[in-house]
Amino acid sequence: MEWWIWPLALFAVTFAIGVVAVLAGVGGGVLFVPIVGAVFPFHLDFVRAAGLLVALTSSLSAAPSLLAGGLASLRLAMPLALVGSITSIVGALIGFALPTGAVQVALGAAILAIAAFMWRAGRSEHPRVGEPDALATALQMHGVYRDEATGRDVHWKVHRTPAALVVFAGIGLLAGMFGLGAGWANVPAFNLLMGAPLKLSVGTSGLLLSVVDTSAAWVYVNRGAVLPLVVVPSILGAMLGAKIGARLLHVTPGPVVRNIVLAVLVIAGGRALLKGLGI
Amino acid sequence: MRDQELYARWLGVGTRIGFVVLIVSFFVYVFGLLEPHVQPRELARLWGMPVDRYVAAINGPTGWGWLRYLGRGDYLNYLGVALLASVTAVCYARVIPALTRVQAVIAALQIAVLLGAALLS
Repeated sequence: MEWWIWPLALFAVTFAIGVVAVLAGVGGGVLFVPIVGAVFPFHLDFVRAAGLLVALTSSLSAAPSLLAGGLASLRLAMPLALVGSITSIVGALIGFALPTGAVQVALGAAILAIAAFMWRAGRSEHPRVGEPDALATALQMHGVYRDEATGRDVHWKVHRTPAALVVFAGIGLLAGMFGLGAGWANVPAFNLLMGAPLKLSVGTSGLLLSVVDTSAAWVYVNRGAVLPLVVVPSILGAMLGAKIGARLLHVTPGPVVRNIVLAVLVIAGGRALLKGLGI
Repeated sequence: MRDQELYARWLGVGTRIGFVVLIVSFFVYVFGLLEPHVQPRELARLWGMPVDRYVAAINGPTGWGWLRYLGRGDYLNYLGVALLASVTAVCYARVIPALTRVQAVIAALQIAVLLGAALLS
């Protein structure tokens, strides 16, 4: 097969991932590695690098407007991003140290667990937070943002910060090891664990990803795992797809698409697991 | 919220610069305006290898060695990636003066982690 077919096919697939990810309300990063790893001939090292860079560029491009609009909080993200970025570096190093088969098995298991988690996880628009913990108070993790949908100012504060630091350390490890975007985990951690409002959780998740993925990205760059023919069509496809997906959002049944995405994750995760086991 | 607005502004500008460099360098590469280190046809035979074997097979650079290969179409793309991966540290450095003491310490630690990843990993 001619070499140029692969980048074009990659662009088409990542475009579809970008559209579907927005419609399903999940990050495209979590779909990229299992699908591209299962369908394309690239080694998992290059797929993980590309997946991480797709998630990084998406979050970098979204973060400025989220911050400027108050829908992401730098204060909330900073301590958690610090922990997550340290563990994402460790995760990326572990991913290169392990045999490919072991990484495939772990990736398959992680994707299946993520699908189950996404199936079960709930959301709360405005969680009730009693007293903020001492760490959240010391780090000034509170604020106010303008909710344009309701025209109201929303005051927010968070709790359970020590537990959240542990959770974000685990999320960073997974993101670095498998090149997965971590919006699927960041949002519930901010929203359900720390008690941040849902919109702020989604926005701050994007900001946090831009920091955590940057740290792990350097590990992949330094190993020479960045193949432009894999990375750039993926970034362009995913970003263009996300823009189209945003336009289709109001005419598409989100829950149906979300269920399809979960089914795809189960198939891709199962395939990665079997591939890693040599079956 | 001066810190947040500053961060957003610098992140927006830095990301745009990184994107432009990445896209331009990619088209320089695929249209053959600069000779690549590895021809795409050859790359298609090698991209199924683990990265360590791939780098050995092409006698390619690791770490910051790509800087010596910026005259090659494929490694020119590393410049855009490196710019995008540097934006966050620059933004943190820019907002430190606007942060409280505790937050400034966290920001300084974050910059140290990013520099460590860039220089030592």
